[in-house]
Amino acid sequence: MIERLLFGAVSTVLVFTALMAVTTRNLVHAVLWLGMTLATTAMLYILLQAPFLATLQLILYTGGVLSLMLFGVMLTRRSSEQDGVMVGNESNGRRRALPIVAIMLGLLVTAVGRTPLANAPVSPSPTTAEIGKRILSTHLLAFELLSVLLLAAMVGAIVLARRKDASLEGTNDPRERAAALPGSRPAGAPKEV
Amino acid sequence: MTDTLEELMLNPVIRALFWGLVMVTAVMTVTAWTTWFERKFAGRMQSRMGPTLVGPAGLLQPLADAAKLLQKEDLIPDSADRFLFNLAPILTVGFALGVAAVVPFTPDILAADLDVGVLWLLALSGLMVFPTWLGSWASNNKYSLISAMRAVAQGISYEVPMVLAIMVPVIMTGTLSLSDIVADQVKNGWLIYRMPFTGFFAFLVFFLAGLAEANRIPFDIPEAESELVAGPTTEYTGMKFGLFYMAEYIHTLLSSAICAAVFFGGWDGPFAPGLHWMLAKSVLLFVFLTWVRWSFLRFRSDQLMDICWKYAVPATLALIPITALYTVWHGGAR
Repeated sequence: MIERLLFGAVSTVLVFTALMAVTTRNLVHAVLWLGMTLATTAMLYILLQAPFLATLQLILYTGGVLSLMLFGVMLTRRSSEQDGVMVGNESNGRRRALPIVAIMLGLLVTAVGRTPLANAPVSPSPTTAEIGKRILSTHLLAFELLSVLLLAAMVGAIVLARRKDASLEGTNDPRERAAALPGSRPAGAPKEV
Repeated sequence: MTDTLEELMLNPVIRALFWGLVMVTAVMTVTAWTTWFERKFAGRMQSRMGPTLVGPAGLLQPLADAAKLLQKEDLIPDSADRFLFNLAPILTVGFALGVAAVVPFTPDILAADLDVGVLWLLALSGLMVFPTWLGSWASNNKYSLISAMRAVAQGISYEVPMVLAIMVPVIMTGTLSLSDIVADQVKNGWLIYRMPFTGFFAFLVFFLAGLAEANRIPFDIPEAESELVAGPTTEYTGMKFGLFYMAEYIHTLLSSAICAAVFFGGWDGPFAPGLHWMLAKSVLLFVFLTWVRWSFLRFRSDQLMDICWKYAVPATLALIPITALYTVWHGGAR
């Protein structure tokens, strides 16, 4: 009974924060609402007796992904603006979003409806060690492939972020450094260095 | 009466509430007097007296500070995001105190014996940048915003060596639970000197990363009072500023307690009860931290990133395979 009540409370908060994340007009607030959503998801995992998954959710999503998003917001937004960047053209966005949402909802409902749900009781034993063993035995190939994929993404990110001009490599003059950053020159100005 | 009390303590919810209350009270009280200790210590290092006026040897200074902070006017800048501005100091203390839940003081004095205690620790230290960022952004102050960018960059970077460094004790003991890590050390020797001796280097990196996460000197680049006024706390007054300050001390205290538990055998030691040993080790580490703080100058941003990515990360990346190979060679974690 208590579990059901808790589940109800947590999922209400989850839906509310998710709605706030997509409807709020302030980009920073949207990111923070998203953070709330991700943290509430972790609570859902705790209710499902999966502490490993819950803490990973906190580390990876709330800790990692969200701080990257904040970084993105900070680097793209002009800090002098009073109330943040306004997102999207509302009427246009709604017209496009509606069919997509309808299709996604239909797919989800059919998928959930057709999946036979397991009724087995949850094993109360600690699952963390078991997850580790499974990853390194049954799912070893998928695990290794994922790590290679992540490595490739990391190398790709570094290649993209590298300074284009090799002659400036290792310079310590702040003016040269500033000039070498993309976007620091006014658009169309000739390259100085 | 005792029977009913013991029965009450068997209830997990009551037990959690009780230990939560004890931990919060204890940590907050100790934190207040660590500020006194730090000021005294800094004073002596710089041939000064430190606080002397309030109470014997200035011992009542923390109370006077608290009274002063409470009397201050509560200023909120006109252009600030009021809600987030008020939320940030609360969150910062909340996240810092959350770490206390999993610190194993003795086998019995332990608020929550989580199966994934180490991960909980990492999750909270990852979240620590958010209150700083929130407060800075909500202040709508350019110095605060610069410091927020520095804080996030520093937080994300030092998260990596921290995770890698704490994997070494996890591999050596074969568990993610902090109390089991200590129990293993009681049986097989402290990790700081146990073969293959990687625990010592992992401790150094973990300690360094902990310093950086708490934004303590020499890693106080986000605060940098000589360049950024006071970083995230520029616009904060009174007790809200006090909360940020408190969170920094709580974070430092608890990271020394965690180092003591994970690398120095926690409650293990002869002659005295476990709690005494654990507290003594934590306090010694805290003194060491204070010593470091008042001995070094602030790093530059590029030095900060160099230390993290060119030294700490490769070092821990080398430590992990060595530890793993050694552990497997000797028949897995004991």
